[in-house]
Amino acid sequence: MIEVQNLQKIYNVKRRQSFFKSYKESIEAVKDISMKIEAGQIVGLLGINGAGKTTTIKMLTTLIEPTSGTYSFDGINAIENPSFVKNKINMIAGGERMIYWRLTAYENLWYYGQLYGIDNNTLKNRIESLLQMVGLEDKANLPVETFSKGMKQRLQIARGMINDPKYIFLDEPTIGLDAVVTKELHDEIRKLSKVREKGILLTSHYLAEVEELCDYIYLVNKGELVVEGTKKDLTEYVYNRKQYCFSVQGMDENIIMRLHNYLISLDIDVEIVQQDDRAIITSKFELSSALAQFAIKENLIIKELYEIEPSLEQAVIKLSQQICREAESIA
Amino acid sequence: MNFKVFCATIKKGIQIRIRAYPVSFMVGCILTSFYTILGSYLMYHYFFLGQLSESFELNARTTDYMSYAIVGSLMYQFIVRTCLNVSRTLITELREGTLESLMLAPFKRTSYFLGNMTMQTVLTIGETAVAAVIGIAFGFRISDFNLYHFIVAISLSLYGFFGLSLMLGCVMLYTRDTYISQNTLFAIIFLVCGITFPKEALPYCLQLFGNVIPVTDAVTLMRASLLGGLTDSEFLYLGLQEFILGTIYIVAGMPLMKHVEHIALEQMEG
Repeated sequence: MIEVQNLQKIYNVKRRQSFFKSYKESIEAVKDISMKIEAGQIVGLLGINGAGKTTTIKMLTTLIEPTSGTYSFDGINAIENPSFVKNKINMIAGGERMIYWRLTAYENLWYYGQLYGIDNNTLKNRIESLLQMVGLEDKANLPVETFSKGMKQRLQIARGMINDPKYIFLDEPTIGLDAVVTKELHDEIRKLSKVREKGILLTSHYLAEVEELCDYIYLVNKGELVVEGTKKDLTEYVYNRKQYCFSVQGMDENIIMRLHNYLISLDIDVEIVQQDDRAIITSKFELSSALAQFAIKENLIIKELYEIEPSLEQAVIKLSQQICREAESIA
Repeated sequence: MNFKVFCATIKKGIQIRIRAYPVSFMVGCILTSFYTILGSYLMYHYFFLGQLSESFELNARTTDYMSYAIVGSLMYQFIVRTCLNVSRTLITELREGTLESLMLAPFKRTSYFLGNMTMQTVLTIGETAVAAVIGIAFGFRISDFNLYHFIVAISLSLYGFFGLSLMLGCVMLYTRDTYISQNTLFAIIFLVCGITFPKEALPYCLQLFGNVIPVTDAVTLMRASLLGGLTDSEFLYLGLQEFILGTIYIVAGMPLMKHVEHIALEQMEG
């Protein structure tokens, strides 16, 4: 298991003031992040406003050292043993980086395999199975520069698997890819986690992607953890009120008014908005049985009755707006 | 040393060069060598009218100026090609987006750099041989060849150039500049390391400066192995000096490179 506690990263950067003048500035990219990743789990790292996601991934991959905090990798101090960590992890980034364009797909995987010290027989078999896994077995001997974006991304996945890592860090893996390739990659990521038991940390700008793939999500803002949990936990954290969609045959303003009068006795703050032939009801209480009883009492035929589950995207946007408002009020 | 990484780096380098060999750059380097030789030829024959001062003969240990200048030019071409390419390896990885994936792998950097150096040396030997053939037309004559000295001179030169490449690589990666840093270094080498004239002709402070660059002794050793002029003990002394200087550069360069790698990876974010 990967476990980090109170991770912090301060960059000392040089800023140019004018052509001849520059000054040094300290930037706290990550202030305080604690998280866990277990084998077979897909963990999402979502960020608002320059959250420090990539910096966090770089610290977890030991590419950069944290300024403070602890990092335990399968019970071993990862900060003091980066080579141990590097043998058991890999990283796949979005875009077209991390592979040599002038080498073929096979040559790329062979070279990285050599860097990881994999013996030649094992490497040969692994390359063949990885190329098959990402559907590039027919393109193995073509230079990468002739590949499409999607093919390059698939090769990156194969490269990220060359050392058979226990944990994989995916940094915006589907950026710039079309819907079909994205879908294929999602299936691949799911397989890696659920079939091959890899622990995966995923960062993405696409909230729907995180929502679809991740078992557990960490939401960070300006280098600090805002909230963590499953998708349901996160939406419940943001939305402390429930929403229902209620529709009956012959829905009109009269029924809406009667419904309002009925529900107000249960929740004085209940809100009802009519959308076409539906009523969207917002309340802090569980109202589904009350709505069913209202229909029975009024002899109405129910067309629709369900609780509207807010999407992660809506929750994150709302949370982001809340954070901005709080920041403004403090200022 | 990790031979898997060493051999793989050579193979990767050759595969990339075969697909995208910078022919124009290679021609440019040979032309630079040609122009240097041509300049020396014109100066020697039309400006100095073939007359050499006693001080030149004393310091250069030869009366064959054209061979002296041509060996210097060939060595200069050799330094430019090996040093330039080895020192540029990491910044090239950074620019091509492969630095992170490279740094993620748990391998020793020494094997990686030595692999690049070996691959580049093999290619540069071919280019230098072409330039040497051109030099023959301008009067290049190997007057006192000593195979043993030649092997020692080649080995120690590569050792020293490797150290110099590491230091130049650190500067390039830190400043993210290849143009100013490399051209400044090459201009300094051309001026103070005795490429076309003995360094003793320079002011004393510049001579001292030339002495701490592991090119000056390498050029002198190579000249001695081809044109003679040094006793065995003088050759041994210079060889030892080159070895010590190269060691200082490598011992300082390797940890410095590791440090600069970290800075480069942080700068990618910060």
